[in-house]
Amino acid sequence: MTGSLLLQSLVLGVLLGGLYALLAAGLTLYFGVMRVVMIAHSAFLILAAYLAWYFSQQTGLDPLLSLVFTVPLFFGVGVVMQRLLISRLRPATLTMMSVLLTFSVALVIEGTLGFLFGGTHRRIQLPYAGTSFEIFGANIALVKLIAFGLAAIALAGLYVLLKFTPLGQALRATIQHPEAAQLVGINTDRVAGYGFGLGLATAAIGGTALALDSTIYPSLHWHWIGPLMAIIVVGGLGSIPGAAIAAMALGLGQSLLQIPLGTTWAQTFFYLALFATLMLHPQGFFGDRLAQRF
Amino acid sequence: MRNDSSRTVVASSAAGWPRARVAKLTGLLALVVFVVAFPRMAADPFILSVGVIIMSYAVLATSWNFVGGFTGYISLGHASYSGLGGYATVLLILHTGVNPWLAMFLGGVIVALLAIPIGIASLRVRGASFVIVSIALVLILLLVFQSWGSFTGGSNGLRVPRPFGDEVLRPEQHERFFYLHAVLLAIAVLCWWLIDRSRFGTGLKAIREDEDKAQSLGVPTFAYKLVVFVISAFFTALGGGMYALWFGFLDPIFQFSILTGSYMVLMSLLGGIRNVFGPILGAVIVGYAMEFFKAQYGDTQIHLVALGVLLGIVVLFMPDGILPALRGLVIRFRPQATSIREVTQEELTRDATGSREESATDRGTGTKEEVSG
Repeated sequence: MTGSLLLQSLVLGVLLGGLYALLAAGLTLYFGVMRVVMIAHSAFLILAAYLAWYFSQQTGLDPLLSLVFTVPLFFGVGVVMQRLLISRLRPATLTMMSVLLTFSVALVIEGTLGFLFGGTHRRIQLPYAGTSFEIFGANIALVKLIAFGLAAIALAGLYVLLKFTPLGQALRATIQHPEAAQLVGINTDRVAGYGFGLGLATAAIGGTALALDSTIYPSLHWHWIGPLMAIIVVGGLGSIPGAAIAAMALGLGQSLLQIPLGTTWAQTFFYLALFATLMLHPQGFFGDRLAQRF
Repeated sequence: MRNDSSRTVVASSAAGWPRARVAKLTGLLALVVFVVAFPRMAADPFILSVGVIIMSYAVLATSWNFVGGFTGYISLGHASYSGLGGYATVLLILHTGVNPWLAMFLGGVIVALLAIPIGIASLRVRGASFVIVSIALVLILLLVFQSWGSFTGGSNGLRVPRPFGDEVLRPEQHERFFYLHAVLLAIAVLCWWLIDRSRFGTGLKAIREDEDKAQSLGVPTFAYKLVVFVISAFFTALGGGMYALWFGFLDPIFQFSILTGSYMVLMSLLGGIRNVFGPILGAVIVGYAMEFFKAQYGDTQIHLVALGVLLGIVVLFMPDGILPALRGLVIRFRPQATSIREVTQEELTRDATGSREESATDRGTGTKEEVSG
């Protein structure tokens, strides 16, 4: 293994890990505010990618511009979904039933995409798709860098929002202790809706980033949901920093393992990490003891 | 004397419940007669093959319900066990040349052994993490069976040798497999029923209602969960193996599909996971609907939308399933025979004083009432 190949994989691993981190942060938000595991997250990711593809197909503009309407749209859909669907479930069986409910949403999205656009693989033709540049012998495609940039900006935005705004404070309070948050006057139902909207907005951004440099097809979301689920369990359910760190570590690991093992077997790394975590440290490496119960 | 009295109690309690028990037995008998007669009634081999598919789904859903129904742990990844069972059966036949039915049984045993470490890993976590692990398992197995071409046939799939000779024609095969599936289903149902009535089953149901309380009351929760998980994997693997022998071809995409697992969940939830016949009813409804959709709309993706919408409706509005809903309806329209009635405090005190006077005057009838009750 040459040094430049290693560097190349490292860089690609970081770029991939950034996207994973953004998406896993969204999943963690849903889990935090509602104790809900959102299986449909990656289906919305693919939906956003299709919207970006369709947008650039119809208008000939850059797919990044589709963010202007997909992000607010997805935020709204998230709020509506939480208010109309998730909050109707019985509290006693909320966690299990929400998995099934969001799973059914994922199926509806996949089926609708397949019905409207067919099962063929789609790809956006970008004028700068072939552009790449070299850093220390590592070859980096511009689109991958743009995707990483989007993910990094969105994550930073999410961080600022959670840390320094009143809404962020209310969200964090709801995540930490819903009853106590209600006692100090936070409308936790509404806040949970906003949390869902924010989570779906990350899927919109991630999907657009994904559409830039990969081929998309309706059943692609199954390839994303497995690694994302592994990331949030390894990081500890409900911990955003844990999710981000686990995303980076696992993204890097996958990218490095691709050199000796090839792309297919490298994917099993996520699942091995998942099973190892459950055997050694079931609550995940950054979660609190509460995480084990969900 | 003691014998006598206990016999009269049994007799009187049987006499007190005749309608419910007779109705149950008649229903069961009608079901058996229908299953036995179905291949004769089926108009053509296609209908019969649909019958086999529905039967296979009933086996898988009932097997799923060992874990889902008793412990409340919803596994979306039971396709792992049916797929592994199918592959284990076929690989055993191809590599060792054993009898197909023995291979099917051995396949079930192998999968049950594999389920032990898997269960130990995944049952340590509850709720959402458990579901995540079950999904992850299907995705891993799909990857492995697609990539490991030299052993599993890879993406090209595996052709399954037919268990019956060439002289047995296709419709005849359908009929035989229909009955074989029915026997497997009957065994699984019997097992479920036995567990349901046992102390073990009571412990499992306690886990479903409140795992922490069950544990603090001394139920060995982890061991119970693991045992029932392995039983469930065993029956699911047998179902998968039998389906593989009937269908004659294994393709990793269909064997290790999350959809198969979600069908099992949908069928069980729709019928009612707390009832032994719930998954069977669900399998009949969902299996028929699926075949109908395939016949009507061909190979489009609309069936995914239908599955999703149906699952969503069941989860939102009928999480207990059809059978409990029906029972609720029956109870509502039946004359009120239960001891709990809605009465005001005044009525209650008036009744109490009235009956006390009554029992004071007629003590004999009061005691007789107690014995028969």
